[in-house]
Amino acid sequence: MSVFTDKFSATLPPPTRKSERWKYSPIAKLLNNEVSISTEAAQGMNGWPESVLPNPVLSLDAYLVVFKNGVFEPTLSDLPVSDGVDCIPFSKMDPSASLDFSNGYHQKEWIGELNETYRQDGLCLHVHRNVKVDRPIVIHHLTDGLNVASFPKHLIKVDEGAELNVVVWSSASERSSGMYNGLLEASIGPNALLSLEKVCNEGGKVFHFSHEHIVQERDSKLKMHTFTIKGDWVRNELEIISRGKGTDSVFNGAYLPLGTEHIDNHTTMDHTSSDGTSSELYRGIMYGDSTGVFNGKVFVRPDAQKTNAFQQNTNIVADRGAAINTKPELEIYADDVKCAHGCTVGQFDLDALFYLKSRGIDEKAAKALLVEAFLGDVLSSVSSTELSEEIMNLYTERHGW
Amino acid sequence: MLKINNLCAKVGDNEILKGLNLEVKPGELHAIMGPNGSGKSTLAAVLAGRDSYEVTGGTVDLDGVNLLDLEASDRAREGVFLAFQYPIEIPGVSNLNFMKAALNGKRAHKGQEPIKAKDFLAKVKECSSLVELDGRLRDRSVNEGFSGGEKKRNEIFQMAMLEPKLAILDETDSGLDIDALRVVSKGVNAMRSSERSFIVITHYQRLLEHIVPDFVHVLSNGKIVKSGGKELALELEEKGYDWLKEPSHDTSNV
Repeated sequence: MSVFTDKFSATLPPPTRKSERWKYSPIAKLLNNEVSISTEAAQGMNGWPESVLPNPVLSLDAYLVVFKNGVFEPTLSDLPVSDGVDCIPFSKMDPSASLDFSNGYHQKEWIGELNETYRQDGLCLHVHRNVKVDRPIVIHHLTDGLNVASFPKHLIKVDEGAELNVVVWSSASERSSGMYNGLLEASIGPNALLSLEKVCNEGGKVFHFSHEHIVQERDSKLKMHTFTIKGDWVRNELEIISRGKGTDSVFNGAYLPLGTEHIDNHTTMDHTSSDGTSSELYRGIMYGDSTGVFNGKVFVRPDAQKTNAFQQNTNIVADRGAAINTKPELEIYADDVKCAHGCTVGQFDLDALFYLKSRGIDEKAAKALLVEAFLGDVLSSVSSTELSEEIMNLYTERHGW
Repeated sequence: MLKINNLCAKVGDNEILKGLNLEVKPGELHAIMGPNGSGKSTLAAVLAGRDSYEVTGGTVDLDGVNLLDLEASDRAREGVFLAFQYPIEIPGVSNLNFMKAALNGKRAHKGQEPIKAKDFLAKVKECSSLVELDGRLRDRSVNEGFSGGEKKRNEIFQMAMLEPKLAILDETDSGLDIDALRVVSKGVNAMRSSERSFIVITHYQRLLEHIVPDFVHVLSNGKIVKSGGKELALELEEKGYDWLKEPSHDTSNV
């Protein structure tokens, strides 16, 4: 295994608290860190930590694409091999045959530029016209080691009428620190469906940053879920652009940080064409001294008449030391649209808690019932019950319900 | 079974119960009546263990256990049941999961295994037919979108499921039409036994025509000021409460 270390160097300046987008998620402590960047595969299970399984959702019958510290692990992976699905890491393919599109994020944000500069690999996934991929594809990223950084970028193209379910799962062993900086760009063709679940379950002290950029063509459907189970410092950025008529975008998320964890969800839904619907539901419970950010932008451009956009962010602040900064932002330039948004910060419903306890359910079990109910609307739309059960189990295990 | 001795409780700085005494023997049904603000619902909440009330004095003994030392959930496991005046809606928690968690909590407390699915469903069927609660309501989220009458029937359904030693019914008749009152009363009467005691809190004599009490008490200004048999309820209906009221020195509590 060869690695090299570097201080991050980039031409764009790192974001500061003066920028509205980064005001509540300062990154000062990340700067000037020396990190190692792996360049070669770590030979399968040799060097793979015992505490993490290569397949994060054993109950799910899925294809598996494994990366450790940003480097593709061929012996731990099980890629789909069938007509109509091209699924190969960039490092293993002829560059001329690979997908090539970019939203230019690397020219806009320091974080994006780092990814562009230091990128090791990523998955190139192309589903051809009318092909329905038979099993979900799980992309598993493991961070393992002190001060390691990984910079993957995945490209996904779902052609007209095709269907695909991808799970991007990131883990880190408890001894880990450093950075995960992952980008994903997807384009969903006319009448096509992409279900995308993003799960962060990282031990240690990893600065986790991810940016998903998804473009939807006419009558396409996106079902996106972002779950943060565990992570010291997490920022999820999601940008959806509805470019054709009649698109449907569902994107939900949940976060339940403990201790001093920091969790930030920035979402943008950009309706540029008519007759689109979007539905966004993010729910969070803030425990301990954790801090959180939710920022949800919805744009309805002048041509996006008959748009129906819904956004809700609901938060429970469970402990005195926890805090959430939440901000919905709607910019509507069309006049014949329906847009609803709601944003709440509250506490556990004490009346409901007493009602449950008065029937002989102890406080811990009563809170678990209320949490399960609270998360139910987010979990129920996940594309497979195996996955939603696994996520609920991990929350349950972590919180000791 | 239940001995309440000199019970005092307050909310914030407001003293509500001011030395209440009451003894309930197995199988007895005690009705507690009284004007608004006399402390009836406070008594129910304090017995069930709601922690927004501060108990400042007295004891509550249920078969040798001091209830005041216990959390609400442990009181329920010892056999206390409160039928709420305003049952709480809990979206996302199904009525059946709720009852299963409650029953199994109680069983674990007694060192019993969780109830078998088949036995649980049989019990649900039996108890829901008692109060004519149809399957549609059983399967929904707890009280969500239920009418007033449906919520009260759901309370009695839960009581039947949990088979308490001591059931406290807090204004179970409020918000009920005549038919629902009849159904709810029928459910309560079916639950009466020589081992189970009831405290029925109500404003109106009407309920006591359906659920006939052994004793009637009048609560006024935080104390029981008069006790009698079921005929006392009729007398109250006729004369009101004014002739029984203790003069209150606390003007904030009028």
